[in-house]
Amino acid sequence: MRSSLTPLGPPVSRDRIITSFPKWYTPDACLQLKEHFHGQVSSTCQSRNTGTVGLRLSKVVVVGDLYVGKTSLIHRFCKNVFDRDYKATIGVDFEIERFEIAGIPYSLQIWDTAGQEKFKCIASAYYRGAQVIITAFDLTDVQTLEHTRQWLEDALRENEPGSCFVFLVGTKKDLLSGAACEQAEVEAVRLASEMRAEYWSVSAKTGENVKAFFSRVAALAFEQSILQDLERRSSAQLQVGDGDLIRMEESPPETQESKTSSSLGCC
Amino acid sequence: MEEPPLREEEEEEGEEEEEEGDEAGPEGALGKSPFQLTAEDVYDISYVMGRELMALGSDPRVTQLQFKIVRVLEMLETLVNEGNLTVEELRMERDSLKKEVEGLRTEGSAAGREVNLGPDKMVVDLTDPNRPRFTLQELRDVLQERNKLKSQLLLVQEELQCYKSGLIPPREGSGGRREKDTLVTRPSNARSNKEEKTIIRKLFFFRSGK
Repeated sequence: MRSSLTPLGPPVSRDRIITSFPKWYTPDACLQLKEHFHGQVSSTCQSRNTGTVGLRLSKVVVVGDLYVGKTSLIHRFCKNVFDRDYKATIGVDFEIERFEIAGIPYSLQIWDTAGQEKFKCIASAYYRGAQVIITAFDLTDVQTLEHTRQWLEDALRENEPGSCFVFLVGTKKDLLSGAACEQAEVEAVRLASEMRAEYWSVSAKTGENVKAFFSRVAALAFEQSILQDLERRSSAQLQVGDGDLIRMEESPPETQESKTSSSLGCC
Repeated sequence: MEEPPLREEEEEEGEEEEEEGDEAGPEGALGKSPFQLTAEDVYDISYVMGRELMALGSDPRVTQLQFKIVRVLEMLETLVNEGNLTVEELRMERDSLKKEVEGLRTEGSAAGREVNLGPDKMVVDLTDPNRPRFTLQELRDVLQERNKLKSQLLLVQEELQCYKSGLIPPREGSGGRREKDTLVTRPSNARSNKEEKTIIRKLFFFRSGK
């Protein structure tokens, strides 16, 4: 089993290997408080019985006002760079990040969307089938926080209710003093709980919390994927003929993935 | 003989009423610019000349000349009248044209914004090199193509890394890794059967592997 997965790509870099469950940023606004992998997930991974999860790309969509730093955040994580100059994203862009979680390869496709209003009609076409929605705002600009509500609403509209993990991320943490940041976080945490989102403060410039944040995103998405896969397989009763596997021939894997997540409605 | 003085007298009365205030009196008309000349000025001139002819006495040659002078003055009167009338007409026409143009201009600028274009229209300067010129669909297509190429690039980079690190023996080749492409590219629908079979085969392989 393991040996059949390995040839799919080169070994993931050391800092993309996740063995213990990454912790939340603040318990006041987090999706899960547990500190370890779900028991069923751990045992499934240990027995390498993770089905097609390792082959999949889980879709992450990053939305938010222009100039809050969506692209910077993604570039800091995926390329470990920070570009001081602002260059507006045209439409959409994406990065693929490979992880190894609990011994299983897992990939995130992170979609970077344009914050400019004029690109909304293009970017919104890419919201569909998201497993994770990250709504970003600028910690130094309260208006961008207020707008996250609308961004989330737009992204959720394209997805099945309850099928997405939602994160609220405050960017440019380096621009605020500790006290000012805490003050800004109060309102953000309140909004996050209202949005049923997990809250994080990050800085793409210094890199603070960026890796921890995406590790958390990857781990939560991974665990959900494993659990959904287990459920699907148990209901499919391993019958090759009318199980899901044969359906792959009719629809691309991503479509099937979103169908599955919608039917399970887990969040 | 009788006529000119008669007219002169009539005119003289008129003059006295309207233009007596003028510095020069009837004689002044002769000092005027020909383009400023009015019918009244011509009458003034007639009066002045008539008086001087009378002073010359009743010589038949003077009488002969007087007829010609009267005729010339009549012609001058007609010309001046005609000229002044034309000037007046032209002036009125000019004024009405001015008004018309002004009206069109204000109407036109208002219409340019609201009537001709409508509230959601905009004017594009065709000489501006940065003017909008591509359609939304064209941008969508370009982005989709870019995304496809980027995913292929990522795939090739990984594959290269696999070869470099010796994970894939050179002859095993690309066939075994084509299915990644299907997973990566998005949004995309059409995939070749061959590639899908590769996934299927891969998935069945997992099944039997357990």
